[in-house]
Amino acid sequence: MLLFTRLLQAISVLLFIGTAYAEHTSNWAVLVSTSRFWFNYRHLANVLSLYRTVKRLGIPDSQIILMLPDDMACNPRNAFPGTVYSNADRAVDLYGDNIEVDYRGYEVTVENFIRLLTDRLDEDVPRSKRLGSDAGSNVLVYMTGHGGDQFLKFQDAEEIGAWDLADAFGQMWEKKRYHELLFMIDTCQANTMFTHFYSPNIVATGSSELDQSSYSHHADNDVGVAVIDRWTYYVLEFLETQVTSANSKLTLGDLFDSYDLSKIHSQPGVRWDLFPGGEQEGRLRTVVDFFGNVQDVEIENANATDPGSLKEDLAEIARLIEKWRTRDAEYAAIIGNSTSPSADAHSSTVHLKTKRAVGPTKMADESSWGKRLVGLSVVGACTAVWVAGTILGRSA
Amino acid sequence: MTDKFEDHESRHSSTSLKSVDNADNQNSAQRVPPPETPEAIQTRFRVIAAFWAVIIFLGFPIWWKTTSIYRAHLPIQEMTEWSEGKICRPVFPLEIQIAAPALQMTESQHLVRTTQHALDDLNEFAAHHLRLKLANATDLSDNGASMLSGQNTGDGADTALTVRVLSEDGLSTPRSELHAETTQLDIFYPPSQVPVPSSSNPALSVFIAEELQRLYSEEKATIAYILSGGTSGPDAESISRRLRRSMKYADTYHLSFSLFTPGAAPTSWDIEAAIQEYLAPLLFAFTPISNFTIDTQVQMYATFSPMAPPPLFDEVESAWTLKKEDLSAFINAAEWPLNPSIGNGPTLNFVLYVPDPSQSPMVVKENRASSWIIPQWGGVFLLNPPLETTDSSGSRTNPAHLSQDSLRPAFMTFSHQLLTLLGTPATPSSLPLRLQSMIRVRAAALLLSASSTMGSLARLTESLPSIPIPATVAASVAKTLSQLSATCSHLREGRFGAALASARIAESEAERSFFEKSMVGQVYFPDEHKVAVYLPLLGPVGVPLIVGLMKEVKRLVAAWKARRLSKA
Repeated sequence: MLLFTRLLQAISVLLFIGTAYAEHTSNWAVLVSTSRFWFNYRHLANVLSLYRTVKRLGIPDSQIILMLPDDMACNPRNAFPGTVYSNADRAVDLYGDNIEVDYRGYEVTVENFIRLLTDRLDEDVPRSKRLGSDAGSNVLVYMTGHGGDQFLKFQDAEEIGAWDLADAFGQMWEKKRYHELLFMIDTCQANTMFTHFYSPNIVATGSSELDQSSYSHHADNDVGVAVIDRWTYYVLEFLETQVTSANSKLTLGDLFDSYDLSKIHSQPGVRWDLFPGGEQEGRLRTVVDFFGNVQDVEIENANATDPGSLKEDLAEIARLIEKWRTRDAEYAAIIGNSTSPSADAHSSTVHLKTKRAVGPTKMADESSWGKRLVGLSVVGACTAVWVAGTILGRSA
Repeated sequence: MTDKFEDHESRHSSTSLKSVDNADNQNSAQRVPPPETPEAIQTRFRVIAAFWAVIIFLGFPIWWKTTSIYRAHLPIQEMTEWSEGKICRPVFPLEIQIAAPALQMTESQHLVRTTQHALDDLNEFAAHHLRLKLANATDLSDNGASMLSGQNTGDGADTALTVRVLSEDGLSTPRSELHAETTQLDIFYPPSQVPVPSSSNPALSVFIAEELQRLYSEEKATIAYILSGGTSGPDAESISRRLRRSMKYADTYHLSFSLFTPGAAPTSWDIEAAIQEYLAPLLFAFTPISNFTIDTQVQMYATFSPMAPPPLFDEVESAWTLKKEDLSAFINAAEWPLNPSIGNGPTLNFVLYVPDPSQSPMVVKENRASSWIIPQWGGVFLLNPPLETTDSSGSRTNPAHLSQDSLRPAFMTFSHQLLTLLGTPATPSSLPLRLQSMIRVRAAALLLSASSTMGSLARLTESLPSIPIPATVAASVAKTLSQLSATCSHLREGRFGAALASARIAESEAERSFFEKSMVGQVYFPDEHKVAVYLPLLGPVGVPLIVGLMKEVKRLVAAWKARRLSKA
């Protein structure tokens, strides 16, 4: 009997661990295009299509970091101003009227990308530009651009190496900034970018092997350039036609099985070994675990009376307020007859500061006079040297 | 680029010089150049020596200084030990005062002793234990003021709870009564059960012990769960559910109250008065734990997202109903201006939704609830104000202004949601006790999280040798470690308010040290890259210098040999 109960306990513990492990509490997406200029229209279209998909599946803008190094919609060469399309049929305007670009133009740099992942940002960087993920977050990282063997070019000016990316993810893992991470990359020789990853709980997939190019899917003759890359096109086709709702049960295995070599024209790769349980376990993760958002709400039952329920809490809060009110009255009585100081004291104890108009402030607190003095003496010394030099030179 | 360019230039000039030399040589077929004067040799030696002196004493140190990565010394060993929990075993001794005004001194002392025994027998989790103490009668009266904040002004341990043992006629068994607004538990016992000093295990003591144990069971389970890293402990599932629902700890939370309505009314609400009245007391009670900032907004013509299923009219309830599974799509995240990017703290959103008159009243289908919590995000409340008939046509509209009283249910609910989202334990049913319990839980969680950050930083510095570590990080680490040990000793002595205060400093310093801005190892150079960087620069400069040095050394050696030969 004892043995049996022990066994039951062990099983329940195991089950609990299993369920606890699979759960995540929030979803984040980092979508990065790394190339500029009109002829790279398709890279921005790739990212915007994916942006549209994750938004459709429920990740709010505040949890999507979108990095666009160029503005194709307002490019003078764009025959359809204000729009970006990823298909020649031009059915869906990806730019739409609701798009939140977090990093744009020359803000898209290797440094900013790594700072974003590791959250080594200035204190005054707004939250919309930060990756606020924690130990319970599933993070989707999608990158596209021009790359090569173990590097991806940013803006034609710099490149991120596979080592740097691996270290960034390593630091994220150290600081518990993700629960599970899906890394997707569409570039030439894409699979070389995730060869150096070492932190656990990462599934990585790329569009092409070493020494293989990734190709664009098709061009729109009116736009004048290719509008989407092949691998992204077929990933999106899967997401748009099969993952129709946020409750979809399709798995990552289904997504990766949908890769068709004859259509993609390169060999897509998947890396499972960092994932606990390897391929077997990783294939079971649903697509919306990464592309969708956690959707659960807790309705408060107005009639329940168990501890911590709404009713119980309301009574306690009401008592607290009552107590506060009486104390306030007593306090006012102690302070004296004048009402204005008591009102002041009240607001200061509550820490509800009303907003004050902010005037201009000095940016630095060092004295400008000291600097001026130093400058003046330097100029004086130089003049003295010059004068002395001319006098001595003349006498020589 | 510029290097390369200059490089090119210098090579050009040197080749042109050479061609001039060649021309000279051709001329010298007839004329032998005059032998070098000793002064010229001397000058050349000085020139080469000067060049090399500059290289060795100026160039090399500058290169070394500018390319080396500054890595401040960190106490790696100590940091790792903190993260492994070797230095501090957090303990939570709660001091409970027992006052028994009706009993004799010896009787009450005996009561305390036997109850303590009974408690120790019941307790299974050694880190969290209750220490009973006999209260002086004078202590009791002035305790009320410090109850709410859970902080003690003195140096001694915080008093977690005061138990008053009172006799009451007409009782057969003891009963207890928890004062909801203070930290006081009254135990009433029948006068016949006065513990006699001879009995070793009186019924009253056992009763008090069981009551206390019950009061602190949830807190105990939560702390056990946190200290074990979320894997074990009783009630692990319900605790993990509650912790998942609540926000991650932050020093400052940003509260955002939004009024959304699909129509043109209401256009205003008595928000300042409502917050002052209904929310401020709660926020004040939370001051030892976190700070709060508040902002509010009113949005009219806020429609549902086109993907969200619309509410359906329920004939039986005569109300518009939302299905439970559709509630997650209720918030139109794409169009409603939520999540203001203000400040550093995470935002808690509270949405007050006033439905359109044509869809009023609106409730949740399953249980007619009008509010729900979205874990780690905020709460929603559906407010159905009484409609007003304004014009002659009889169309009914929402009131243009929501008064403070009509906001009362909404803000009471928001207060409750705030409690839930901040992870306040559900028991016991006294708010001051729950807040005190939360102080201990938060202190434990912060202690652990700051320690583990220290461990992460230690591993990071060892695994990434190319990352710079500025002196500020070392300072932050030192501060974190000292605050951590302060937290630990405060905990050991039962001063939980002080422990939380230092744990908060430790946590923020630990975060600051890990997220130091300049610690970005962004460029990994493989060795072939280094060759590619240095060779074009150093090659053209280095070759003449080294050749010149070699020639000069050869000449010196030859001269020295010649001198020795001539001497011999």
